[in-house]
Amino acid sequence: MSARNTAETISDRLTRLTLWALAIAVIAGVTHLTSILMMPGLAPHDAFSRMAALAPLHRTTLLPAIEATPAAAGGHKGLAGLLGLPSSEWVDDPALIRGVCRFDLKQGPLRVRASLTPESLMLMSFHSRYGQIFYSMTDRSATRGRLEVLLFLEQQRDDVEANDSEDELPQELRIVSPTPLGFVLFRSLAERPSDRIAAQRRVAAINCGLNSALTP
Amino acid sequence: MIAVILGVALGLTVTLETVSGGPEFGAVQAGAWTGWPKEGAADVDPYTRAQRARSGDTPLGLTEGLTFVASADDSGTRFDSRCDYIVRGAVPPTRFWTLIATSPTGALLDTSTRRYEFTSSEIIRDDKGAFAIAVAGTARPGNWLPVVRGEPFRLVLRLYDTPASASAFTLDASQMPSIRRGACA
Repeated sequence: MSARNTAETISDRLTRLTLWALAIAVIAGVTHLTSILMMPGLAPHDAFSRMAALAPLHRTTLLPAIEATPAAAGGHKGLAGLLGLPSSEWVDDPALIRGVCRFDLKQGPLRVRASLTPESLMLMSFHSRYGQIFYSMTDRSATRGRLEVLLFLEQQRDDVEANDSEDELPQELRIVSPTPLGFVLFRSLAERPSDRIAAQRRVAAINCGLNSALTP
Repeated sequence: MIAVILGVALGLTVTLETVSGGPEFGAVQAGAWTGWPKEGAADVDPYTRAQRARSGDTPLGLTEGLTFVASADDSGTRFDSRCDYIVRGAVPPTRFWTLIATSPTGALLDTSTRRYEFTSSEIIRDDKGAFAIAVAGTARPGNWLPVVRGEPFRLVLRLYDTPASASAFTLDASQMPSIRRGACA
């Protein structure tokens, strides 16, 4: 009698323990997936937030040169490290001169116009609010030495196309942005340290702004 | 209640572990080099995106170029900044490339020289067009990429405007620069 009771208690305990372990595993799994998916919206030092602190909307702003900072070598651990602190920086190529144009397409479509220097590398990438590079290109995509892009939201497509002339194909590259907020990153290579000034001029000369003809 | 607390703690720990360090998925190995060609694609995975949100990194878009990282030489031995390394040989076809030494977290090394990297345009080549870069803590003749003696480092190779973007998953060691260890002090 008592032996049977003990056996039942052990199997009861095992069942309860298994249930507990399962519950913890399920909660851990849900927490893990939720936090991974929420990270791009919550991280205080993601590229979007960094750019927001450095540059105004709808104009090209040169980003500061990348320098060696002894403090940057460490990186934070623990809970602070989970959301990322500035010192956990992963640097871009210091030979690239970088410029950014932030956009808020709710205010209207964005136009980017760049006259390019032959043989010089110019990179252009379009970043959504949540860390997706939704389009990228190099100066190789230029036609007649120029790159021209019109960026808009899907719901603005009709407005954009309403202004099109019927006999002419649009002269610019048209890109639909997945989010209203985001930024365009311009990067040009300074092949030698002495080319840095010229590269800065190339980036600063990029015209970026609201396509006012289409702005309500 | 305890299960909830333990579960949340465990879940967050796993998240922290996965977002620290480089992207998790889609890595390509070629010799000593590891690249993440999917990183700059529009259909990037949520883990890479979370990791990027945390670091604030702005990787190259797939059309812009490819990034490769090495933390060990060809034999798989981790870099030791007390030793010399020679980087030489092939680079996949590309318009420009750069080679830089950084800390393991990606920060620039605080070397006494202001040289952090070489671009393909400024490198000194031999009469056959081949190049060799010496990675060392003290000055070397020719192409010298300085590191800080006693501090860990890694090498980052970036290919700009490269047709290899389309075929990055088939790159092998013979197409990438070799990294050999030289003398150690």
